[in-house]
Amino acid sequence: MNGTNIPAIAWRNLWRNRRRTLLTLFSIVFGVFLAIMFTALQDRNWSDMIDLAARLGGGHVSIAHLDYSEIPSLKKTIQDASVLAAIARKQQYVTKVTGRISGSVMLNTAGESYGAAFIALDPTVEDKHTLSLLDPDALMEGTMFTTANDKGIILGYKLAENLGVSLGNKIVYTMTDKQGEIISGLARLSGTIKTGAPNLDAGLSLLPLATIQEFVGYAPGEITKLAVFIEDQRKSSEVAERLDDAINMEVAVLPWYRSQPELAAFIALKVGGTRFMSAFIGLLVAAGIFNTLFVSVMERLREFGILMAIGFTPLRLFSLVMMESFWLALLGLVGAAVVTIGPYLYLSSVGIDIGKILDAQGTLDIAGVAMSTTLKVGIFPESVLMICIAAVVATLLAGLYPAWRAGNVAPVEAIKLV
Amino acid sequence: MLVVELTDLTRVYQQGKVDVHALRGLSLQIHRGEFMALSGPSGSGKTTTLNLIGALDVPTSGRIIFEGHDLGTMSRRELSHLRRDRIGFVFQSYNLIPVLTAYENAELVLSVQGVGAIERREKVMALLHAVGLDGMEDRRPSELSGGQQQRVAIARALASDPAVILADEPTANVDSDTAKHLLDLMQELNESHAATFIFSTHDQRVMERAKRVIRMVDGQIESDQLQ
Repeated sequence: MNGTNIPAIAWRNLWRNRRRTLLTLFSIVFGVFLAIMFTALQDRNWSDMIDLAARLGGGHVSIAHLDYSEIPSLKKTIQDASVLAAIARKQQYVTKVTGRISGSVMLNTAGESYGAAFIALDPTVEDKHTLSLLDPDALMEGTMFTTANDKGIILGYKLAENLGVSLGNKIVYTMTDKQGEIISGLARLSGTIKTGAPNLDAGLSLLPLATIQEFVGYAPGEITKLAVFIEDQRKSSEVAERLDDAINMEVAVLPWYRSQPELAAFIALKVGGTRFMSAFIGLLVAAGIFNTLFVSVMERLREFGILMAIGFTPLRLFSLVMMESFWLALLGLVGAAVVTIGPYLYLSSVGIDIGKILDAQGTLDIAGVAMSTTLKVGIFPESVLMICIAAVVATLLAGLYPAWRAGNVAPVEAIKLV
Repeated sequence: MLVVELTDLTRVYQQGKVDVHALRGLSLQIHRGEFMALSGPSGSGKTTTLNLIGALDVPTSGRIIFEGHDLGTMSRRELSHLRRDRIGFVFQSYNLIPVLTAYENAELVLSVQGVGAIERREKVMALLHAVGLDGMEDRRPSELSGGQQQRVAIARALASDPAVILADEPTANVDSDTAKHLLDLMQELNESHAATFIFSTHDQRVMERAKRVIRMVDGQIESDQLQ
């Protein structure tokens, strides 16, 4: 590098006080490392949570009766589910589309009665990727339905305990039909599931779709909700918009954050908290950089006076100090990349099991979603870019005043300094 | 040829609540090729005069014409360019950039002017040879003696072929042998390059070498003698 160009002089100036520069770099590296790891934890966790919630609820995007989300009811249905499903499958990013009926049911045995929620599903279409409850690991005992016309019922294990039933026992289920009439049906317990979320384990039942369609008086193809699954939950908004444009019927097309507002609010709150913390860390780091650069400039005022005497303009001096700031930012980012890559790769693949600390076994109920106790990280590329840009901007902003001070030195006064 | 013309210059500084009259109506003409010294006791206005000629300071009143340009009408940027292109400075304390080598220090002004690399190299190597620093171009200031650093400063001052070289006590921080060598060098450069040297000095040796000595007292010219 030509020694007399600004970047070269700035680079050498940085190493005049090696210890001070290394300390400043350490603060940048540590700050970026923390920001990356916190954000990676957040990105991965919320992404997993949204995917899980989608697999428990109505998909990443749901299609339902216009008024269904406000007050769900078996009277509010969508017709021609297969037509809507075909439209949905054609959309970019869509991986699966499944139809369901959801509602409330009263479950009765000889000695007990319990209210619960039910999901009626087609086991030939659904799997663990569309409904997490269908994960073979979730099945505690018994078997899943094999057809949509099955006559069995699956209960959360706690609900089964409360009802005092075991595999093969009869259970009477009572609900209102499409006309609002109270109707009852009979099913045998074919399996129990354990989700890790207490409210689901004690309050959820699964029924076969076609059986319930006939039971409540629906036409074939009539359902309460179409669940659309996409490959990247961040595309929910885009897919919902395109679906809404493509569908020429009066239905509600809702991305997950509108169909599950409590979850969306919870995540937004946590994301806001993490961003505040990252900004605070950034501020502390920027303060350290400012101190380093300012002290460095004040130590060199005489030198800046000499440079002005030999023809450096105020802008050139300003550029010199800003370049020092830029080198700090660049070195800091490189250092952060080196320091972060190892822990990131480990935590993204193996993770940390916090189950023992929280006294939880395998899963943890967070906002109604059963999350794994193994914390993993996974950062989105745009998050990395934002953090890098923020780090560079913070460093450059921290250098602004020292650079201005250097450019506004009065040569006559500066040269007199010892 | 007239290089610098000072007309009725005054300079008043504020020092606390006291007004310090560094110059009181100074008028002076300097021609190309002069080898002159401003002498006088401390506080007589020598350095102030040098700073005003060098466009490092602004007079309280009066006019400075430098190669036909009125410095009072020039912007900050124009004054920077004037210093870069037409004025060379040699300070008492060498004032080299510590992170640059001798070559790079001498080259600095040419680099700022945007002179090409090959032309820069030719010129700087010739200057370093002229000041007797062959083979030392890659040394940093910390690896040079006081006298060698001052030679680099002289090379830097000459690099842009300035109209005037302003030297403020250039021999103050060197031993007498080195001072003699530096004066020989500057005198030779004055004769060979027709470089105009203006010294501010207490050093009798400089005053003896100067062809014109202006004695200043209390911000005014007491005498102006050719030698």
